[in-house]
Amino acid sequence: MNTPLLVVSDLHTTFETPRGLLPAVRGVSFSVAENQTVGIVGESGSGKTVLARTIMGLQPIRGVKLSGSVLLNGSEIVNRPHDELRHLWGSQVAMIFQDPMTSLNPVRKVGDQIAESLQVGIGLKRKEARARALELLVQVGIPSPEDRFHAYPSHLSGGMRQRVVIASALSCNPKLVLADEPTTGLDVTIQAQILDLLDKMKAERKMSTILVTHDLGVVATRTDHIYVMYAGRIVESLPTADLHSHHRHPYTAALLNSTPRIENKSHTRLTAIAGSPPNLLKPLTGCAFAARCSYASDVCRTQTPELRSDGGSSEFACFNPVGVTV
Amino acid sequence: MTIQSKPILSVRDLEVTFGRGKKAVQAVAGISFDIYPGETLGLVGESGCGKSTTGRAIMQIEKPSGGHITLGDIDLISSAPKEARRLRTRLQMIFQDPISSLNPRRKVRDIVAEPLDYWKVVVGDERAAKVDDLLRKVGIDPTVFGHRYARQFSGGQCQRISIARALAMNPEVLICDEVVSALDVSVQAQILNLLEDLKAEYGLSLLFIAHDLAVVKNIADRVAVMYLGKIVEIGGSDNLYEAPHHPYTDLLLSAVVDIDPSKKHERKVLQGEPPSPSNPPSGCRFRTRCPFASELCASTEPELAEIAPGRFVACHFPLNFSK
Repeated sequence: MNTPLLVVSDLHTTFETPRGLLPAVRGVSFSVAENQTVGIVGESGSGKTVLARTIMGLQPIRGVKLSGSVLLNGSEIVNRPHDELRHLWGSQVAMIFQDPMTSLNPVRKVGDQIAESLQVGIGLKRKEARARALELLVQVGIPSPEDRFHAYPSHLSGGMRQRVVIASALSCNPKLVLADEPTTGLDVTIQAQILDLLDKMKAERKMSTILVTHDLGVVATRTDHIYVMYAGRIVESLPTADLHSHHRHPYTAALLNSTPRIENKSHTRLTAIAGSPPNLLKPLTGCAFAARCSYASDVCRTQTPELRSDGGSSEFACFNPVGVTV
Repeated sequence: MTIQSKPILSVRDLEVTFGRGKKAVQAVAGISFDIYPGETLGLVGESGCGKSTTGRAIMQIEKPSGGHITLGDIDLISSAPKEARRLRTRLQMIFQDPISSLNPRRKVRDIVAEPLDYWKVVVGDERAAKVDDLLRKVGIDPTVFGHRYARQFSGGQCQRISIARALAMNPEVLICDEVVSALDVSVQAQILNLLEDLKAEYGLSLLFIAHDLAVVKNIADRVAVMYLGKIVEIGGSDNLYEAPHHPYTDLLLSAVVDIDPSKKHERKVLQGEPPSPSNPPSGCRFRTRCPFASELCASTEPELAEIAPGRFVACHFPLNFSK
């Protein structure tokens, strides 16, 4: 295999809060190959959004301590000033945020916003940029694009706004796109349309994608490889095809069992995960999931499990894994 | 459901219109359904289809512009305001955002006691005992958490408190409007299980409004599917999901993603977005996006008809059905 497009090694993101240090990302390592789609899945507070923003280099300089390394195409992102990262944003890496209403400027026409990213990102002249922006609106499937070019974000539906955000993110042909909950808040039918659009764009442009979501169904159908996060760490890394039947971490198992499924009969009892995630302001000893885990033993409460391989392409951080090694 | 007793809640030709004149939007355009004692009816549809408005109209939060809502034997809409208030205690609603539906500056015990205080049902020691009992029922330890403020709780815990408050007046019907959609999947499972347990214990009937089809299938006995202010299909949960009759239900179900990709079903994509309810299409409201639409669909609106026992569908060309 070639050198991966993105290599994240031992990344830590710690926030300085009035109540003490909050380690939101606690030693994450993974890589994304060219043309690969990777899913990062976890519940609220697992650190998945902080991880995505750190990879983008969007963390503020003050109040945040970063360590470790994020190499994008050979360039280091961690602890670099925003001025130096600016030329990477758009042309190398772009991000799609959850809420399209807040990631678009409400008082500017959507076409102008896309054109602006082209003018700033790759230095197109205004007229060229506007023509290219219109082309992008066509590509992302906006009906009557000439009219919508002059629309304000508030005139568009949620699905249409997300299409505009995608057009804007892809405008400067980034090699890596980070999509943070791109379809949360959209209806299932619109979700399917947006995910199809991302798939199509990825195939046409040979991009790599990181899909950050809480929705197991979305990662299970739209990615090549999945990283499961819990309390700021990756607890399991596995090929998407193995998620359903060959997962090893009890947390992954618990997440799958608590998800209501359309395949199941009505009134199928769900297995809820008792308790709630740990408070990261307090120091943690042992496995972060131990307090909620039905397989926890004494070693889980005293030692922190590291990611280990099962011999194949999966890794898990657990002393008492579920399932059997194939 | 095999027990076809008398419905606890009947909705007939319910209409809700916002605005007037040219700007009028008919959010709910004449829908009818029944909820039987001890039953959960799921109400699904995309955003803007009028499912929340239906729930709010039943609670009399929105004033219906037409139709009837009958609770037991009493028509809620024609009741005098004072009487309607009293009747409304038999109906309770739980909302989507658990944090904003609780006053952050009030203590948990007082929040749960509010309906009891308003109706002066119980006082003194009896009131305290009732409140503690309700909190225990929803899995919150009153001795530890009773004196905390609502703002100190997580979303899942706030939803538990909302449920305790809704149960305080011993309602017969609980209207749940997207009650788990803001919660993480592990917490969502806790709340769904809690609702199932409480339903069995109190013999509650639920109107469960949600956009998540897998969640609705899990909790509902019967499911009604709404599109642009109309009910297009009603049926038993397993039956309806197994063999949908309305093309809209079919397309909606095929958009659902499952955690087991090997179960990948044939994917049919629903193109476009719903038309504006201020200017709905003639005839069948779904015809502009329906792959089977014909001239008949544009000229004549299909009525919701029972094509098999317990299966109602509003379509000229129902799927999975031979006469």
